[in-house]
Amino acid sequence: MLDIERELRLLAEYQIDCVIIGGIAARAHGSSHETQDLDVCYARHHENLEKLAAALESVHATLRGAPKGLPFLLDAETLHRGLNFTFDTSIGALDLLGEIRGVGGFHECLEDCLSIEMFGHVFKVMALEKLIISKRTAGRTKDLMMLPELEAILEYERLKETAAGEKSPNDESES
Amino acid sequence: MDKVEYTEAERWLIEPKPGTAAARARDFGVDLSLTVSNLRLTPAERVRQLDEFQAVMKELRRAVITAKQNARHRA
Repeated sequence: MLDIERELRLLAEYQIDCVIIGGIAARAHGSSHETQDLDVCYARHHENLEKLAAALESVHATLRGAPKGLPFLLDAETLHRGLNFTFDTSIGALDLLGEIRGVGGFHECLEDCLSIEMFGHVFKVMALEKLIISKRTAGRTKDLMMLPELEAILEYERLKETAAGEKSPNDESES
Repeated sequence: MDKVEYTEAERWLIEPKPGTAAARARDFGVDLSLTVSNLRLTPAERVRQLDEFQAVMKELRRAVITAKQNARHRA
């Protein structure tokens, strides 16, 4: 079962360049949905792939859903040749995505992202607007089911911003 | 029990106006009072809360498996 703290610590300790996406990102933005895995969009440069391979090796990662005995060499070259991977590890499910449909790769996911400090490290979380686009584009039932709440949260955040923008200049002039 | 007090912005979610995204979420079946509770936390607190929930669920699953095994032994 997913151990979020240990998975996030693993990514931080190996200094992986990545952005948290999916269910954990939805949760960070305020969604009440539960999730069973940690999804990240990772940078595809060679150094990052080396670090990723080492991190995955340390938690005995195996391809999720692959037939037993399927040869799979977990190294930077294999990660380079593929793009999206779903792993089972000793600390839970971990999905690595090189590209997010409707959004793009690591650099696009990084734009406007949220930085949050947890477990002594800073993590990047995909922006709510992009998360909504990614869920809508993915189009699976489980993604579409998250959309109404995420859109309500986005509406709420925009309303708060508008209210704060309208309030603050008057507040300052009156005080 | 004390009644929960909502801010003006939170009431936008709790008592949504027709045609808003919040109204669509409510009609879809989303419990927006849970969403408001989450929004009162920081993003890091929200993820930590999920992590704690996962730990409880893990324990619950262990307990269910043990209970089923014990029941089988008794039968």
